[in-house]
Amino acid sequence: MTQVHLKIEDGIATIEFNAPDRDVNILDSGAMKELEEILSAVRKTDGLRGVLVASAKDRIFIAGADIREIEGITAKEDALSKAEGGKRILKALEDLKVPTVAVINGACLGGGMELALACRFRVASFSDKIKIGLPEVQLGVLPGFGGTQRLPRRIGLVKALPLMLSGKILSGKDALRLGVVDRLFPEKTLREDALAFMRAQEAGTAKSSKKPPRSWFLESTPIGRALVFRTAKKDVMKQSRGFYPAPLQILKLIQKTFGGDPARGFRLESEAFADLAVTKISKNLIRLFFMNEQYKKMAWTSLRLKAGLIQQCGVIGAGVMGGGIAHLISDRKMQVRVKDIHPDALGGTLKEARRLYDESIQRRKLKDNERDYKMGLISVGLTNQGMRRSGIIIEAVVEDLKIKQKVFAELDGITPASTILASNTSSLSVTKMASVTKHPERVVGLHFFNPVNRMPLVEVVKAEQTSEEVMERAVQFARGLGKIVIVVKDVPGFLVNRLLMPYLNEAAYLMEDGMTADAIDKAATDFGMPMGPMELVDYIGIDIAYKVAHILEEGYGARMKAASLLQKVKEDGLVGKKAGRGFYLYQGKKKIPNPAVRWPGGQAGVPSAETALKRMIYVMVNEAARCLEEGVVPEPGAVDIGMIMGTGFPPFRAGLLHYADSIGLENIAGDLERFAKRVNQERFSPSAYLLKLAKSRQTFHGKA
Amino acid sequence: MKKIAIVEGVRTPLVKSWGLFDNLSAQQMGALCLNELLQRTELDVNAVDEVIFGCVGQPAEAANVARVIGLYGGIPKDKRAYTVSRNCASGFEAVTSAAEKIQCGVDHVVIAGGTESMSNMPLLFNKEAATLFLRLSKARTFFEKLKIFAGMRPKHFSPVPALKLGLSDVTCGLNMGETAEVLAKMFGISREKQDAFALRSHLKAVKAREKLREEIVPVFLPPGYQECLKDDNGPRENQTLEALTKLKPIFDRKSGTVTAGNSSQITDGACALLLMDAEKARAMGYEALGYLRDYLYAGLEPSQMGLGPVFAIDKLLRKNSLTLKDMQLVEINEAFAVQVLACLEALGSAAFAKEHALAGAPMGEIDPEILNVNGGAVALGHPVGMSGARLILTCLKEMKRRSLHRGLVSLCVGGGQGGAIILERS
Repeated sequence: MTQVHLKIEDGIATIEFNAPDRDVNILDSGAMKELEEILSAVRKTDGLRGVLVASAKDRIFIAGADIREIEGITAKEDALSKAEGGKRILKALEDLKVPTVAVINGACLGGGMELALACRFRVASFSDKIKIGLPEVQLGVLPGFGGTQRLPRRIGLVKALPLMLSGKILSGKDALRLGVVDRLFPEKTLREDALAFMRAQEAGTAKSSKKPPRSWFLESTPIGRALVFRTAKKDVMKQSRGFYPAPLQILKLIQKTFGGDPARGFRLESEAFADLAVTKISKNLIRLFFMNEQYKKMAWTSLRLKAGLIQQCGVIGAGVMGGGIAHLISDRKMQVRVKDIHPDALGGTLKEARRLYDESIQRRKLKDNERDYKMGLISVGLTNQGMRRSGIIIEAVVEDLKIKQKVFAELDGITPASTILASNTSSLSVTKMASVTKHPERVVGLHFFNPVNRMPLVEVVKAEQTSEEVMERAVQFARGLGKIVIVVKDVPGFLVNRLLMPYLNEAAYLMEDGMTADAIDKAATDFGMPMGPMELVDYIGIDIAYKVAHILEEGYGARMKAASLLQKVKEDGLVGKKAGRGFYLYQGKKKIPNPAVRWPGGQAGVPSAETALKRMIYVMVNEAARCLEEGVVPEPGAVDIGMIMGTGFPPFRAGLLHYADSIGLENIAGDLERFAKRVNQERFSPSAYLLKLAKSRQTFHGKA
Repeated sequence: MKKIAIVEGVRTPLVKSWGLFDNLSAQQMGALCLNELLQRTELDVNAVDEVIFGCVGQPAEAANVARVIGLYGGIPKDKRAYTVSRNCASGFEAVTSAAEKIQCGVDHVVIAGGTESMSNMPLLFNKEAATLFLRLSKARTFFEKLKIFAGMRPKHFSPVPALKLGLSDVTCGLNMGETAEVLAKMFGISREKQDAFALRSHLKAVKAREKLREEIVPVFLPPGYQECLKDDNGPRENQTLEALTKLKPIFDRKSGTVTAGNSSQITDGACALLLMDAEKARAMGYEALGYLRDYLYAGLEPSQMGLGPVFAIDKLLRKNSLTLKDMQLVEINEAFAVQVLACLEALGSAAFAKEHALAGAPMGEIDPEILNVNGGAVALGHPVGMSGARLILTCLKEMKRRSLHRGLVSLCVGGGQGGAIILERS
């Protein structure tokens, strides 16, 4: 089927991408082959004066290479030949003797941007559909069609590096500012304007546009460049902690090739691409990409409702979570009314929202007037006054069922039955909260994670009587706030805390067995966790962590018995980071292990880091197997997405269950059995579901 | 004729300028009130047709500040908004404009109010300096710039506060304080009388603090949001006559009687009221705070602008065949103590009535016991574009507390006007 079309008129060749039966244009092998043939026809055209490369799609120029193809690459030679082949074709485009203009009308990503870079000029529309970037790094690879070579040449080293290293997507305005595109035109007249632009270039009558300034020192001197690379490397190490090879490879590649022989540069790029494309990390990141796409759109109910307009949201409880939620809602330009019975808490919410907005201003993501507007959308009060105006009310008071029930009974009495009543509980039964209302079908769980503005996950909890419509609206609402949603059953701790708590608990047991907090945390962070478990408990606060641990113990019995150490630490008043002391002592930005946390070591000797990691991760795997069996979530992907988005489980491992699959379930079951024998029967005995999979040599994902 | 209901209202505390509200713009204060009004009335924003706000010194960055307030406050984009100015009666004008719009059926539900951040009024350069700065910004070469710089003199660097210009009358050439001095001399009102009036305003306002909280939305102060302001900060608990007596006259240093102590304070604040057709209010289940029976504006000699209430009250009451005796509660804005005292005297004076061709007999006395019972602008302050709306709100709330039927609100207007409104509760 033809994806690329050629039209020659008046000496002007228009190469138009229009993949049939698809909303997007992708540079798959087929499209590349067609492009190659078209280019050879163009080259032979007599009287050729210029070439436009354009798309017939509404929101898409070219969305990138075919990620499925990259995913399928298993041999380096295969990757190398793909990269070299693509390069050859884009080189043919670059080598045309007439002006070539990429007419960008929408997403122009990855291979699409590389193609645009091979044109002599790039123009785009003023529309906010314009998205230009090289996101390959997020898939664990690098631009393989010459992008790493052409972009620095077009816009300079200093501007090109961050784009390639972060995979940042540019708006049309930003692209113009950086010099990635040469001109912006109105969307309506983009084609004609691009044509006129090209004619002017061809005739030599075009006004030379001012190129954005570059620093001679940083771009052209050895010392300057060395400085750029050193700073970039420091940033990369800080961001990726060395777990991700792609940005480091990109950096190495550019360092070797910038300003050098283009042919050598292209070859080295292909080789680096081939090295990365076959790595497990890249495969995992691609897997995550597809999961993400899937979960962004996942239909959790059978209803398809038109997005309802909510004029206001209510938040009950102005604590850390309530404040974070209020900020998030106002950031999405919705009014939010926050109620708390403590005036100071209300001030605290405003202060926190202001701090977050000021942070955005500092990062130049927000302007002063936008902050003032968004701050104004948050109003606060000591009573329920105004709550009736809210289409949805989110309760975020302390984790105490009695208090929460009181809140729900109150709200039930004053709001119309159409108002959705949501609880931000992290582990309590939403069904029990709903039971005190006259309309339990409108009660739902909306579990946000701390810090609300940074954690992308929301667990939408379906209580026993929650209606389909309320579920769908709640999912819509959370997605409207920019969150990834998983729908979970109403069990203690839902999914994420039900898995995370045993992990934290196990860390405490490891400490009881004689490991230091430091050593435990290091084992976890070396694995790729963003923060070690002891530090995480400090961050959450032992008061809250202990409460959740207790709720889970009540719910699941002996296997979740809270470690005695947690209770001792709680009784000693080592609250955590907010109090300056917990498992660590906090002074400013520094933290040192707290010598006051002591426990007589176990008899079995101090566990090794490897054992520690296994114990912590495998209890989660074991519990996840139970969750799947019980249908807490419908499929293993939800566990992976939930753990990555909700706890920061290392993305390059593609989630807890992908990781378990990669280790082999029989190995995990074996280790668990050993731990059950040596350490503790209840905590480690492998679940029936895990054993079943392990015995039949299946994987979590293989079965799904 | 439709009956115009004032359903509810709310205002910020009145805060002395260049102080606690320094970080709140006029639009932010207005939005804060509007938002709180929505909460207190639990109103569906889609029912609102229009937002009308009064403002004298509109922020340069928020032209048509009412529109900004509407959007900041959560009113949908497809609704309308406009800003009105009748100088010191701008807040009044917003309410009466709303009444007119409702009366003629253009609007059904209107949020009207006033806002003024006198803290944030800009400094202005004179024309000559402005021209130089403009040329400087257009100069391309270093030498061009140097040349313009060389032509600059110290006088070019002394901007005039817009506030000062705003409080002056360009036709008669007097500032507001000077017009107050005109009245002091015209009626021979002594410094002692003025100071005593000022003291009473403070005492009443301090005593009313608890009551006034009913109409005030507590404001957490940005950027720290630690302090929550619940009360007006103008009234002074420990105000004494001695302290007032010690102040020097500021508008006529030698023979004047008007001091900072017996004038209204320069203040920031905003107020929002919800107005609708009484039928509509009833249908929506609201119990209105009160009704706007009638209103009227009158013009007079600009240099005697403080007497505006006399003309407005006289004409309005006669139009409605009412007398001052029918008014159970009266608010006259205290731009200056002397100006209110002059109004009281003029209202009762046959000679004044005759001289100014008011319809024959004088209006009569206003019982001091029903005048500005919760203090006035001398103690509370006078954010010019906002006060009109505030007076209506304060009066209605007090009428409700006292279960009174009828009240009168009036104020003087810089430039030589007066405004008056009759409020009723049934």
